[in-house]
Parts: sequence; structure tokens; C-alpha cells
Amino acid sequence: MLAEPQPLATAERPMLAASDIHRHFEGMHAVDGVSIDVPVGKITGLIGPNGAGKSTFLAVLAGTLPATSGAILFDGQDVTSWPAYRRARHGLVRTFQLPSEFARLTVLENLLVAAPKNRGDSLFGALRGRGYWIEDERRLVQQARALLKRFGMSAKESDYAGTMSGGQKRLIEIMRALMLGPRLLLLDEPMSGVHPKIVLEIQHYLEDLRREGLTILMVEHELHMVERLCDTVVVMAQGKVIGSGTMSSLRRQREIVDAYLVG
Amino acid sequence: MDLFVAALGFGLVSMSVIAIAAVGFTMQFGITNMINLAYGEVMISSAYLAYYLNRAGISIWAGMVAGALFGAVFSFLLNRILYAPFLRKGTSHLGMVIVSLAVSAMIANLLIPIVGYYPRSYQEDPGGLIRLGGIALTRDQLIVIGVAIVLMLAIHALLAYTRLGKAMRATAANPTLARNCGIPTQRVIDAVWLITGALCGLAGVVAALNSDSFAIANGAAFLITILAAAVLGGAGQPYGAMLGAVLIGLITELSAAAWSPQYKEVVAFGILVLVMILRPQGLLAKRGALAAAG
Amino acid sequence: MNTYYAANLLVYAGIDIIACLALNLQFGVSGIVNFSFIVFQAVGAYAAAVLSMPPDTANGGFQHYIGGYSLTFPIPWIGGAVAGGLLAIPVGFVVLRKLRSDYQAIALLVLSVIANTVITNADKFLGGAAGIALVPPPLSERIDPNTESYQYLYVGITAVCVVLTLFLVNRIVNSPYGRSLRAMRERELAATAIGKNPVELKMTIFIVGGVIAGLSGAILVGFIQVWAPSVWLYPETIVLFAAIIVGGRGSNIGAILGALLVPVGFEEVTRFLNNDPAIANLGPPGLIPALQWVAIGLLIIGFLWFRPDGVHPEARRVFEGAPALED
Repeated sequence: MLAEPQPLATAERPMLAASDIHRHFEGMHAVDGVSIDVPVGKITGLIGPNGAGKSTFLAVLAGTLPATSGAILFDGQDVTSWPAYRRARHGLVRTFQLPSEFARLTVLENLLVAAPKNRGDSLFGALRGRGYWIEDERRLVQQARALLKRFGMSAKESDYAGTMSGGQKRLIEIMRALMLGPRLLLLDEPMSGVHPKIVLEIQHYLEDLRREGLTILMVEHELHMVERLCDTVVVMAQGKVIGSGTMSSLRRQREIVDAYLVG
Repeated sequence: MDLFVAALGFGLVSMSVIAIAAVGFTMQFGITNMINLAYGEVMISSAYLAYYLNRAGISIWAGMVAGALFGAVFSFLLNRILYAPFLRKGTSHLGMVIVSLAVSAMIANLLIPIVGYYPRSYQEDPGGLIRLGGIALTRDQLIVIGVAIVLMLAIHALLAYTRLGKAMRATAANPTLARNCGIPTQRVIDAVWLITGALCGLAGVVAALNSDSFAIANGAAFLITILAAAVLGGAGQPYGAMLGAVLIGLITELSAAAWSPQYKEVVAFGILVLVMILRPQGLLAKRGALAAAG
Repeated sequence: MNTYYAANLLVYAGIDIIACLALNLQFGVSGIVNFSFIVFQAVGAYAAAVLSMPPDTANGGFQHYIGGYSLTFPIPWIGGAVAGGLLAIPVGFVVLRKLRSDYQAIALLVLSVIANTVITNADKFLGGAAGIALVPPPLSERIDPNTESYQYLYVGITAVCVVLTLFLVNRIVNSPYGRSLRAMRERELAATAIGKNPVELKMTIFIVGGVIAGLSGAILVGFIQVWAPSVWLYPETIVLFAAIIVGGRGSNIGAILGALLVPVGFEEVTRFLNNDPAIANLGPPGLIPALQWVAIGLLIIGFLWFRPDGVHPEARRVFEGAPALED
């Protein structure tokens, strides 16, 4: 008998509220009635065994995959029918489990391309020539360079993103997402395949971002990381939520420990 | 009315020819993820091989077997020498389409100096008309239908009951997982190209037999019909290709009777467009057109 | 070298450059594998032809086509460009929205074959298989087309179109918009995750490319004064793809280079070979054009294997004030 999921304590309205999300495809119920609230300004972890549906659920939240049914409220706004790009423009940004850098763009370009407010980023803006958009461009270059400096990748700005290491690509994706000025960051296993030294760096960056008020929902396998980083954790298995709360409260639930948690 | 009944008869033959070709094509795509645009040219090459054998006095049915063997070897080599290395290199789907298009142009043009531009026909007495109800078909046409039925059953038996067939289905569903489960994917893929290559070669001879004459230009036209059948049924799905072939064969023959025979491919294309707008994953949906990029 | 030969070479070079710049925009920069490109050039040619010609009852009435408005330069050329853009709208609408990219490529290829079949068989629409002949050369009412000065004129107006196209394409490619296009080309899914709408981007570039392709068709038909389905068979697009791959996809200079190396280069080599009767009569008839195609196929495969970035690869963008490159 599974214990009742612990209600997440939220003082204010959650940044994101997903209600009864289902995602069926080719007869498989990857997500089978998941409801979660993602509290503002906190890092929420999403853990569970392989095949639990975590990444699929994240994709549904981001809009990469459509939900078969259910509703998604992002900062009070119903975004269920919105395509992924519209959610991204609105502040709901995801990263990917597999490296998703723009390989033949430079590191700096990877960041610049994500920035929303550029007059040159439309057909007519481009046709009006350099003079029209160069100011915006310079401003964004500065902004991007500041990010690169903060994440220690200034020297690589003109290198092709495709030639970067796994960990560097992960950082590029996070920086790229930040250029959008997101309000909710959906991270899909940000530490997977990354050198332990960089894992620590990413952890620190995420803590800094939380301190600055960013809300994060993170799918992660590395339980020690989850323990250190996440304020609350949601556990999924077989497409359903089987528990949520702090790691310590979850450890006290026998069933969850047996089903998933090791150590 | 008689016209339509007759068209129905032609439809039976048509769908048989298309089915043999489309099943091979769709299996290549389903199991190796390769849209082999050179398929039509391999068909035509086999048709010409059978033509030369036929001219040398060999029966067209032996020519059909020869065509199948030729198609098998040709397709196998095509994959080993060209497609597989590019895939191993990490070439994208789009890149592979360009490669296969380049290959198709090369094959067609290597053929031209050998076979010339003029249309050819097989010297074959199609046999007397046999009447079934309102439908009148020649003996040869009935044999073609029979061959198609036998092949469809054989493919079904292969996929459903043999180890190789199961390995093929596993590789189609998830190649990495299949490999990790100990399935020798390289050998499975080789087998796929041999078997579908044989279907391709055989289909080429049968298609040529079914037309008054054939020339190199027919390769592209026929490819469109095959594509339409494969996509209609659900890309990568052999049973889908069979269903698609039935529908396309019927609809194109009926439209040829009602409208004009010149526009058969246009009708097939129209169906293809409709499918792409309304239901890109095809009738027997599996993986397919809507798969997200990347 | 006589003027007519030089003019021929230069005008064809100009047309090929314009076409390659358009295809580079669609394929090289934005990743749209437009296997139906030649259809857009064709529609521009047909449009320019029926706009500039007299009604089909003229000249003894041996042709059958729609239109025939006897309009003078530059209206037929503008009409050709517009026609190319207009065709891109329904085609793009059907093909570019929900399909994955290799399906899109196939659909466009099929369209190319079918369009040719339909126009060939629809006798009264655009001249059918015989096509349209006696297209009046632009400005022929001002200057006699049979003179040398007309040749210079034609080269001149072609050159103006080349410059215009290069200007337009350069502004698009070397801008933040161009960067968004390249990001979509690199990884469409990730591009949506950072707020890019791939359908809108692809449709726009499809239309812009269509306009430029249509213009190239108008220039061509004004020069050769005939147009028929046999001129725009689907393999013609393959030649242009070879040009882009060889020259360097994504790069405008690469596109120009590719245009000169492949379509123009092959034309010239063939002409040179055919001038020698010993070579021209070698083997069965049609051997040399067939070998040309084999060579084109080999070029594509060879470059995709050994040098996928082409002779002049896409340039790396370095911004002012960047730290020195380490490699």
C-alpha cells in the first residue's frame, strides 16, 4: 500500500501546475495521470526508475510532445495547447537529455540565437540591413559574454559548439536557456554523461540561479545530487507519481525505498 | 459499367505488382531507416536483365527468378558499399536521401549507354483470356496475382514465425535495444537487403511484364506509386504496404478507366498528398512521418 | 572568343548563380531539402513567357497557352518572380508543416515529377509537351535582338539581377535572422525549445527562395525564347544540389563557386568535348550526357563523404572583441 503523496508546501501560487496529464502513444501509457505543482523559486527534483516516464513528462510540460489529456497552467496561464516555441518565448524553457547544441554555430552564436529581443531576427529586420539591428546585436553580445564569463567559457566563444566536450555542451545549453530570461527551467538529466568536476560546477550554478529566484524542475538520476540540490522531490514510476516531498520524508516511506531509492 | 468491372480486374493485377514492390521498399525503410530512392532503378535494371535473357530464348519466369537474384545481390552491395558506410559515419536522414537520389541518377545513367532510350517489351504470349465473373484476365496476369499472393504469405510467415523475422521486427522497433539483446543486427540488416532486394528485382520484371513496354524513365514514375502505397499504409509497415498497394492499385485503375490512363501517377500522387495532410502516419500507424526530428 | 559565345556563357552563369543562391538559402542555410526547386524556376519562366507573349492566336495560332498579355520588360520578369513566390505558398503549406524532414524531401521530389507530367499532358494550358516558343526577348522593341549590342544589354540586365539577388541573400544570411535559420538547420527540436517557430521560418524562406527561383526562370526564358517540360525535368534539381554541396553549403560564396564549377563547368566541358568529333562520336549516342550525370552523382557522393562542407565552407562568425582562436 503506497502512502499518500506528501502535499508540497507552497506559500504562493505554484509556478507550474500540471493536472492529470496523460500521454499515450502507440498503445503505451508513458504518462498515466500525473499531477504536480512546481513551487516558485525552488529546485524540484523528478526521480524514478528507467522507463518511469520522467523525460516524456518533461517533454509534455515543455510542449515538445502534446499531452493526450490534462491541463498545464504556467504561472496561472493555460498553456496546454501552446506549441513548444510559444512556451519558450513565454518563459518556460527546457534543456535536453542528449546533447542538443547547434553544432556548426559558435558557442557565442548558440547563446545569441536564443535571445528574444533582436530587431534583426525577422525577415524584414534582416533586409533592412546591419544598421537596423547592430545595436541590439552589440547589447546581446555583451549579455552573452557576461554569461560565458560567469560559466567560465569565455575563451571558447568562437569555437564551434559541436567541438566542445559533453560537459561544456551541457553548460552551453543551460546558458542558452538563460538567454531567454526563463521563469521556469526544465532540466532533463543535466548531469548525465558529465565529468564529475563539471557536475560540481553545474550544481553551484544551479544553486546560484535558485538564489536569484529562478524556478527549476530537474529530472535526475544521481540521488546524491538530488539530495544536495533539490528542495522537494517527486517520484515517478510506470507513468504515475508514487510519492513526493523532501528526500528525507521519502526515505521514510518503505515502499518508495524498496521500489527505487538505493542508499 | 463493364469498363469498371474490367478496371477492377486490372486493379487486381496492379495491386499485385505494387504490393511486391511496396513491401520490399517499406521493409527497407522500416528496418534500416533508409528511404532508398534507387529502388525504382534497381527494379528497371532487373527488368532489363530479364529482357536480355528473354531475347536469348529463356522463359520469362526464369527471367523473373534471375531478376530476383540480381536485385538481391545489387541491393545488398548497394547497402554494404554505400549506404551502410554513410550511416556509420552519422549521416542524417536527409543526407541519406540525397545520397540515394544521387545513386538513382547514377544507375539510370549508367544504364542508358547500355540499353538505350527506346522502350522494350518482353516476347511473351500472355495466354488466353480467363473469365471470372465479369473480369477477364490473361493467364500471365493470373500468374502474377498468384505470385504476389504467395510472396505476401511468405513475408507474413517470415515475420511472424521465423527467428529472422522476429529479429527483423525487433531491429525495426529499436536497433540499439536489439543489439544489446544479442541480436546480430549486422546480419539481420544484410538479410533484409537481400530479401527486399529480391522483392525489388522480382517486382521490376513483373511490372515490366504488366506493361506494354518499359524504358528507363519508368523507374521514377513507378517509385511514386510505391511511395504512395507505402506511405498510405504506414511507412515501415509491411502489412500497411500490402493494404496501401490494394488501395492504390484499385483507385489508380478505376481512375484510369474513368478519366485517363496518362494520369495514373498523378492520382497516386494526389493520394500521397492527401495522406500527408490528413494522416501522415498512414493507415496502420506505427512510427512514421510525425517522428520528431533529432 | 566571339560576343555571342561570351554572352551565352555569362548569361547562363548569371542564371545559375541566382538559382544556386536561392537553393543555398533554402538548403544550405535553412536545411530545407527542396527537391522540387526546378519547378519554381519553371513557373517563373512560364509566367514571364505568357506575360510577354501575344495571345496564343498570334503567329498562326499553332500554340495553345493561357495569358498572352504582350507586356513589356520588366513586368514579365517581376511576374516570374511573383509566380515563384506564389507557388511556394500552397506547396509549403502542404509539405512543410507536420512532416519530418526526409518525408518533406520525398514529397517535394514527387511533386517535381508530377508537375512535369501534368503540364506535359495538359495540352492547352502551357503548350503541353511542345511547350512555348517565340517568347519575345525583353526590350526587343527598343534594340534589335540580333545585334551584338543586345547581347551586351542582356548580360547587363542579368548582372543587375545577380547583384540584387546577392544583396538580398547576403542581408538575410548574415543577420540574426540568418542565425536563427542556421540553428533550425542544425537541430530543429532545440530551436523550438528556444522560441523559434520552424514552420514560419521554413515557409518564409521557401517563399523567398521561390521568388528568386522564379526570377532566374524569367531571365532564362527571355534568353532562349522557348520553354518546354523537357527543360525542367526533376533531375535538373540534382545538378543544383551538386553545385551547392560542391561549392560549400551555407556559404553564398560557396553557392557562386558551385554554380560556376558544376552547371557552368559541366556545360563548358561538354561543349569542349563535343567539339572534337573523335570524342563526340565515341560510344552510343547520348553517352556524354549520361556520363555527365554519373559524374554529378559521383561528385555528390564524393563530396558528402570526403568534404561535406564543400570547397568554400560556411564561414565561422567571429565577433569584434573576441579572444584569439586557440586552434
